[in-house]
Amino acid sequence: MSAAQPVAPLAPDVDVSRPMSRPAEAAPTTSPPTDSRPVVLDVRNLVTYFYTYDGVVRALEGVSFKLRRGETLGLVGETGCGKSVTSFSVTRLIPDPPGRVVSGKVLFRGADLLWGLGEEARFIPVKGTNRVKVKRSFRKVKAAQARVGSVRGQGIAMIFQEPTQAMNPIFPIHDQLGEVLLEHRGEEIIDGLVKAKWNAPTVRPAAQALERAMKVNDEAMRAAAKELGDAVGLPSFGTQAFYMARQARSGGQTALVADLTKAASRLRLSSGQIRYLRSERELMRISREMRSVYISGMRRGELERVNRGRLTARRLRTRLRRIPYRLPVIKRRVSRPLREETFWRAVQALEGVQIANPVQVARGFPHELSGGMLQRVMISMALSCDPEILMADEPTTALDVTIQAQILGLMNELRRRIGTAILLITHDLAVIAEVADRVAVMYAGQIVEMAPVQELFTRPMHPYTQGLLASIPRVDQPSKKLESIPGSVPNLIFPPSGCRYHPRCPHAMPVCKEQRPPMTVEGTGHNVACFLYNGPPVVE
Amino acid sequence: MVATPGLSIPGADQAAEREHVLISVRNLRKFFPIRGGLFSSHIGDVRAVDGVSFTIHEGETVGLVGESGCGKTTVGRLLLRLIEPTSGHAFYRPTPEVLERIDADYETIGPVPENGGAAKLTPGASKALRDLDAVANQYSLFRKRKKEVKKLRGRLQIVFQDPFSSLEPRLMVRDIIAEPLEIQKVGTRAQRMHRVDQLLEDVGLSPEHAWRFPHEFSGGQRQRIGIARALALRPEFIVLDEPTSALDVSVQAQVLNILRRLQQEQRLAYLFISHHLSVIRAVSDRVVVMYLGRIVERAETDELFSRPLHPYTQALLSAIPIPDPLLHRERIILSGDVPSPADPPPGCHFHTRCPAVMPICSKVSPPAAEVRPGHWVSCHLFPPTPSPGAGGALGTVDAGPDLSPLGAPSSTASPAGPAAP
Repeated sequence: MSAAQPVAPLAPDVDVSRPMSRPAEAAPTTSPPTDSRPVVLDVRNLVTYFYTYDGVVRALEGVSFKLRRGETLGLVGETGCGKSVTSFSVTRLIPDPPGRVVSGKVLFRGADLLWGLGEEARFIPVKGTNRVKVKRSFRKVKAAQARVGSVRGQGIAMIFQEPTQAMNPIFPIHDQLGEVLLEHRGEEIIDGLVKAKWNAPTVRPAAQALERAMKVNDEAMRAAAKELGDAVGLPSFGTQAFYMARQARSGGQTALVADLTKAASRLRLSSGQIRYLRSERELMRISREMRSVYISGMRRGELERVNRGRLTARRLRTRLRRIPYRLPVIKRRVSRPLREETFWRAVQALEGVQIANPVQVARGFPHELSGGMLQRVMISMALSCDPEILMADEPTTALDVTIQAQILGLMNELRRRIGTAILLITHDLAVIAEVADRVAVMYAGQIVEMAPVQELFTRPMHPYTQGLLASIPRVDQPSKKLESIPGSVPNLIFPPSGCRYHPRCPHAMPVCKEQRPPMTVEGTGHNVACFLYNGPPVVE
Repeated sequence: MVATPGLSIPGADQAAEREHVLISVRNLRKFFPIRGGLFSSHIGDVRAVDGVSFTIHEGETVGLVGESGCGKTTVGRLLLRLIEPTSGHAFYRPTPEVLERIDADYETIGPVPENGGAAKLTPGASKALRDLDAVANQYSLFRKRKKEVKKLRGRLQIVFQDPFSSLEPRLMVRDIIAEPLEIQKVGTRAQRMHRVDQLLEDVGLSPEHAWRFPHEFSGGQRQRIGIARALALRPEFIVLDEPTSALDVSVQAQVLNILRRLQQEQRLAYLFISHHLSVIRAVSDRVVVMYLGRIVERAETDELFSRPLHPYTQALLSAIPIPDPLLHRERIILSGDVPSPADPPPGCHFHTRCPAVMPICSKVSPPAAEVRPGHWVSCHLFPPTPSPGAGGALGTVDAGPDLSPLGAPSSTASPAGPAAP
């Protein structure tokens, strides 16, 4: 694949409702030597500790990396080396207590997501033990969480490791997907709903065309349904019409217009429903403005108290006005159009990840789906708001190889279409080789080597990387002897001095015990932290 | 692509194959009943293992591959009688003569319809059935009495998948490893403790670890304790049920190397169950590929990986990520998920996802055919060659209702169908 690859066409059934917030561009899979793509995430010197009863677990000790637009950065390492902690620290999802991001900077959209970290807690060592007592100011922690919340989802989305555990078992899939959609694209959904016109003169012919298309095939039906959606002014209604037509056809039915008219009752809004939608929209606008206030605050390094106070007051007023809608009898009636609309939007999102029967899946509960299916639901959830950065934490570890191939293909295709930067966390080097552009190798809370993927696999420099590569059994090289790295990952409460790898390193020198090796440049884009090499140090 | 049957001399080949057989699994089935409705009556079956036949020789490693839910683990557990089979036999240490007799019997009985007893038996077949019964009483693992099974467990052992739940957390490591010795009443207490130390050293731990509890160990170390426990009684056969799937690559290499060394030292036979094909390639001598309770292909490891014939095997192999960014391959990406074994698709189980599907596939389940010497495929692309000497009994007993008039696809379809990788 070359850098001049044509832009993948937008799939007709995905995201048609929403103009792309960013122009789709082809992401080259081979990164050029001087990477000119803009940096979307800049992590500097991230330090995360867990304060446990046994002592302080030094999980991350100075992790720095940059993520560029449209690139896939692979993060590899053994279990317990801090891969997941890195991604959780960036989005501040570390369970607190016991964990805390202690210091560092996470620059995203020019804002420091970790701003105000120093004031959140004080650390008091307990005499005679390894323990440290942490005095948190929970008011400040909560405020920081709210600030970071403004970039979660739309800015930075995550795919979690265990799809079965990341979903809520008591809500159906469409509920959970719809929640995400409403949170991030709610205003647009409501606008579309209010503007939709069932009575437009073009609608009836379009519905009849769909009825005729039922006799042809799925493609014709899809095209006709899309026409109908455009005529109504609500693409999700087109999706609904398509699945209604498909069901009607499998039931041997030929008439559809009457059913469509009935289904379109959700587009004929009563004045109460319109009022409800307006107030809902108002709330969404307030939270959007709140987000931008937070981001600009983090950018400038101070809280904008005036604007935030004003918005909080406005939110309170709107909520007071909405008290009648909280009565179940009323709520069920007024919120019906929005509920149905989000359902069909969720179906659209599921179509985007190539789920064959999205309506059935959307109605189902998490326990009814297989692991691969759930993982796809998670991906559609993460991508439903076109995030700038996608953090995939072992997205395929729980899956079979054939399903893994499907999921990786899907992630690659979406990256090409939207230009999302992906941080792919995995312990499987083979997966990295397949999809990543650059690789960062982690060991015991530190990045020990960072290189473009081909460079890393052809010329691994750090002894740990060499050991890892030698220990993979390979299908294409059956006679290869499996080398193993002696020992295991160190206990991070008492991490080894100096270079953390030295107890297991075959090339350990006296200096390794005393000093932590600096990150040095050993080739274009190839950085290593090891005393075996002495290139110029990396400049931030 | 189809091997000319004349090249192999079936008689001679089979004679060699019948030497040193440890376990010969024939037509193994395990259906788990689904209960539901009023009075929780029997409303269906999960066909976890549905007519599986293969052979394990002394000192060799047989790899068993397949996606999750295809019945790999069930096969392993059945062989140790941890669960009871629905039907089928596993002949333990049959002599070549006995094997020959079994083969002949199966051939006279012919393909058994899927629902068992409904078939009309010719007098010859019912005689063969009685003879098979007699042989089974003597050799089949599934006919052993409880006491005999207990004795057998000293010879046949298992290492479980999850090292975090397969060790008793309240016992010290030495008690865990000595437990099989105690049950089998081997040696005095002092001798047992000595053996524990020796075993710990065998698997690369030190004797001081005997005094610790399982929670003090990492995953790789626990898995080694599990291996030491399995080795305690000097078995000749170990079922390794995904022994490395919970481990990191570096630790996985340690465990695989230990297993390989122990096999050389003690002439162990392994049934290595895994979904990880690169591991299977690294350790096994022969590979059996399962899909939804049935064997779709079995062959020598090199043969299978260089010339996969079944479309499922081809897709499985092409889906393995290879740790080499310079390598670009054509991928066969299978759509959809594995169907539920409670309601398997009719005919060939794979036809719902198969890229080379034909009309016959959804009607008839394909019999196993020996396409090359030792390379058996169950796929309509490779119809069995009708050669009287090449005992089709090894795998074809599974075949469904005989619907030959449908017209088996001619050989033109076979080379063209699945593109060679």
